[in-house]
Amino acid sequence: MRVVNSAAALRGFPRAVLLRVLLRSLLIQGSWNYRSLIGGGFAYAMLPVLRFLYRDRPAELQAAVARHSELFNSHPYLSPLALGAVSVLEDVERPEVVARFKSAVRGSLGTLGDRLVWAGWRPVCALFALLLVALNVPWWVAVFLFLLIYNAGHFALRWWSFSFGLTHGKHVGEELRKKPVQKVQHWLDFAGALLVGALLPLMIARPAFPGWGGTLWELALIVGAILGMRFGGRVRTPVALVLSLATIIALLVSAL
Amino acid sequence: MNWIAVGAFGGVVGLDATSFAQTMISRPLVAATLTAAVAGRPGEGLLLGSILELFALVILPVGAARYPESGTAAVATTTAYLVATPLLSPAVLLLAVLFSLLWEYVCGITVVMTRRFNEKYVHLELDAAAPDRTLERRHWIAVFVDFARAFAVTLAGALIGALALRGLAELWSLNATVAPAILSIGISCMVGASLPLFGGLRERKLAFGLGVVCGLLILLLR
Repeated sequence: MRVVNSAAALRGFPRAVLLRVLLRSLLIQGSWNYRSLIGGGFAYAMLPVLRFLYRDRPAELQAAVARHSELFNSHPYLSPLALGAVSVLEDVERPEVVARFKSAVRGSLGTLGDRLVWAGWRPVCALFALLLVALNVPWWVAVFLFLLIYNAGHFALRWWSFSFGLTHGKHVGEELRKKPVQKVQHWLDFAGALLVGALLPLMIARPAFPGWGGTLWELALIVGAILGMRFGGRVRTPVALVLSLATIIALLVSAL
Repeated sequence: MNWIAVGAFGGVVGLDATSFAQTMISRPLVAATLTAAVAGRPGEGLLLGSILELFALVILPVGAARYPESGTAAVATTTAYLVATPLLSPAVLLLAVLFSLLWEYVCGITVVMTRRFNEKYVHLELDAAAPDRTLERRHWIAVFVDFARAFAVTLAGALIGALALRGLAELWSLNATVAPAILSIGISCMVGASLPLFGGLRERKLAFGLGVVCGLLILLLR
């Protein structure tokens, strides 16, 4: 809050304008399309700042709306970083500089968010919830804790990235490189692998349905898990096909 | 079953997946459990949602890639499961998992169609008199279209799924252990498949080994 306050005062933006931008960033993917990706959403989220800056200049407002509707992409949780930085730049830089900045950050914000959130924080939180399910906690505990823990990180990241963008403006790239991103990713990977390791024995030794199990099947499940570990996400479709085939055979045998 | 409520929840789940906030109520674990909880059978929803979550874990929505939409499919499938069987049935659960994996692709196709619509609609020329208002209106209409899409695909999935699961479940007469056996193989594969997300066995053998020890200790102590 302090960062947004000071940055707002520094740049002359009212706090309400910046908060509106942050809230609108929740809808940044609302008009996602293959031509401008989240370009339309970016312009939508920027509108409070653009209206404030060009309040008496409709022609410039029109030009700014058109400029910001152009191609842009970012991880949704890191888009407030770009919004904060571009809000600052829009006030002090020429449109070409703003466009170059947007073009420079769009790839890295996407990759960073994909690595940290989609391939890190989200599967870690989901595996934690699945571990709770395997430990037979009440359903609402697993669901509530998953949503609580995940979204604590999610909204903290949105808030931090907006403040970071407002504070550092066009220097966000250099400042971001000083942050211990690799270390965070390492610990997320460590936690994820630990959770997979903890979950496997529980899944194999304690089948989901009572009265079912046996050494031979446990062996089959271990082989299944090893195949999964070897091929990763590529096993998804083959597994679905094998399960479908087995089910069709079972249905045919039933019908005979 | 209140079908309008099912469609509306599917709509909200569909919005959460991309258009609004991504708070992860669109994860199968959450979407399936909440759907079943409303019907008073949260345990079965949690079981179905957990299995579907394992299949969804390895899907990464990276860049402009096209991917199946697991959240709306989970709501549709859970509803279909609840309609098809009044009690926990491993056979119907197996059929429901397979139906969901299929329906995810149908949902994914509708996402692509919505994005194609946005491509044309959002890029129409802006009204010169009030470009900001035009942009806002189009953005909100795009969000509404996404909600309507998710509503429709959830409702259609629930209805088709209920009919399919009911019909196929009547055919199933095998020993009660067959369906869990088939499902468990899939579950163990997908748990293993999530390890490469974190660097794979070679990179993370210490963490993975520690996890296995923890899992075995839990088994011994409980």
